Amino acid sequence: MRRIIRILLLLLLSAIILFPLLYALSASFFTKVDFTAPAARFLPSSPSFRNYALALGNSHFSRYALNSLITASLTAFLRTGVAASAAFAFTHLHFRGQRALLIALLATLFIPSDAMLYENYITTARLGLLDSYPGIVLPSILSASAILMMAGAYNGIDRDVYDAARIDGAGDIRYILTMLIPLTAPVTGAVFIQAFVSSFNSYLWPLLVTTRPSMRTIQIGITMLGFADEGELGAQFASIMLITIPFLLILALSRRLIMNALSGGVHG
Amino acid sequence: MKEAKAYVFVAPAAALAILFSFLPLGKSLAGSFLRISQSGKVLGWAGLGNYVSVLSDPSFLSSIRNTLLFVVLFLPLNTAITLLAASLLRRKGRLTSIPESIFMTPLAFSLSALALIFKEIFRGRVSIANRILGTDMEWLEQPFTAMAVLAVMGVFLDFALDFILLLSAFRNIDRSTIEAAGIDGASAWTIYRRIEIPEIAGMLRITIFMALKDAVLISAPVMVLTEGGPFRSTETVMYYYYLEAFRSGNRAAETTIAVMMVAFSAIIMSLASRRRKDA
Repeated sequence: MRRIIRILLLLLLSAIILFPLLYALSASFFTKVDFTAPAARFLPSSPSFRNYALALGNSHFSRYALNSLITASLTAFLRTGVAASAAFAFTHLHFRGQRALLIALLATLFIPSDAMLYENYITTARLGLLDSYPGIVLPSILSASAILMMAGAYNGIDRDVYDAARIDGAGDIRYILTMLIPLTAPVTGAVFIQAFVSSFNSYLWPLLVTTRPSMRTIQIGITMLGFADEGELGAQFASIMLITIPFLLILALSRRLIMNALSGGVHG
Repeated sequence: MKEAKAYVFVAPAAALAILFSFLPLGKSLAGSFLRISQSGKVLGWAGLGNYVSVLSDPSFLSSIRNTLLFVVLFLPLNTAITLLAASLLRRKGRLTSIPESIFMTPLAFSLSALALIFKEIFRGRVSIANRILGTDMEWLEQPFTAMAVLAVMGVFLDFALDFILLLSAFRNIDRSTIEAAGIDGASAWTIYRRIEIPEIAGMLRITIFMALKDAVLISAPVMVLTEGGPFRSTETVMYYYYLEAFRSGNRAAETTIAVMMVAFSAIIMSLASRRRKDA
């Protein structure tokens, strides 16, 4: 009895969770008329890849996707690099004001960037970075929790490794790149994935700092492709599926890794 | 010389912290006590005038009520549904990886993609939502139902992460206590309530506080799903901040709300971490 209830609950939850995805998938094959049917449709009347052809044929779509790929990769690399460098200093070196600096960096966790939106917009504008990749990327590079995660991992590395590397004449940067990062690959990977996904999915900031269509990211772009105005809602759903499917594939292929990545930053 | 090297390694992080966290916070704090023109010119001292004018603005007060309603709808629903999902899958079995994967799929959605899908699911009277639920409502055209749809979308945005955190908390519990209780004849329900729930309580609190902070700061989902409508009924505090700062050039509202929200989320976060030490 208990087992049956459990299975029923799981089925119900799964159906709810999957519904928007499955509906979007189905709607991406709808014809124009299917959207205005007197009784809302679950399935397309005459499925074809017309909507996907429309989405892929839209000249803006690929540009938006490319912009997202570039900014998300930049954010991921820079956040990982900045955090690795700071975490190295905090765990391997001693300097005056070390504790105070660490506390100051962690204090940024308490300042939500949403509440700094306007001031950061002004700063970015003053730096002349509106409508540029650096302008999209810069405010989200620093992540105190990334520093915290990486410092935690670096603390676990035997200091003899560092001393040996220095005797061998390896500089600090080489030590970080060839020893620290490979030895703590799961944590580095977690920081990188988190940064990439959150940047790829960010909406509000890229919307504010980009005005030229050629600089827009895909998340803003899909609301502006103009398909809805032309009555081509199906093409809108096709473009949603086109950007969602790669993430579904990544999820399916690296479920364990992502679970560890996401639960790694928070300890109960 | 050796010390100088350390500062070089910390410098990028420190510079970014100053430029995008401390400087804007300082500017907001100072600005909240000054009279500033739309173009950013300082006109004079305002004392608490900005706070008084914002706190007595009916639109701001109604944005607080709207945010509270969102929190009340979203937080219990989100907590209940993530806890249920994690509880059902807490024991790893042969087939548990299937629902696990399903529950992670919302991670693939971005905010704007999800909002566009939700708009279509709840669009007009012939919406698929009405067909499934047997209702006849214009969900996004009425204040309460629009807020309810927003809350459900909030659950979709937070669900996967909270589920993963709770699931790993369940699975990290030391098995020996559970097995010992089982040998002593404790029922599965007793073990769940008396042993497992207390063990994950720390993580549960963290997910609740994180969700609370997200909920209090919600703005982007409002922007894409309802644009604050109908009749400004889903205009939350941070969406009001966005409108005042970027559309109206209201620097008094921008600076004071920024300061108040930093203070508020700092309180939430320090409550969360204080509790963590007790647990």
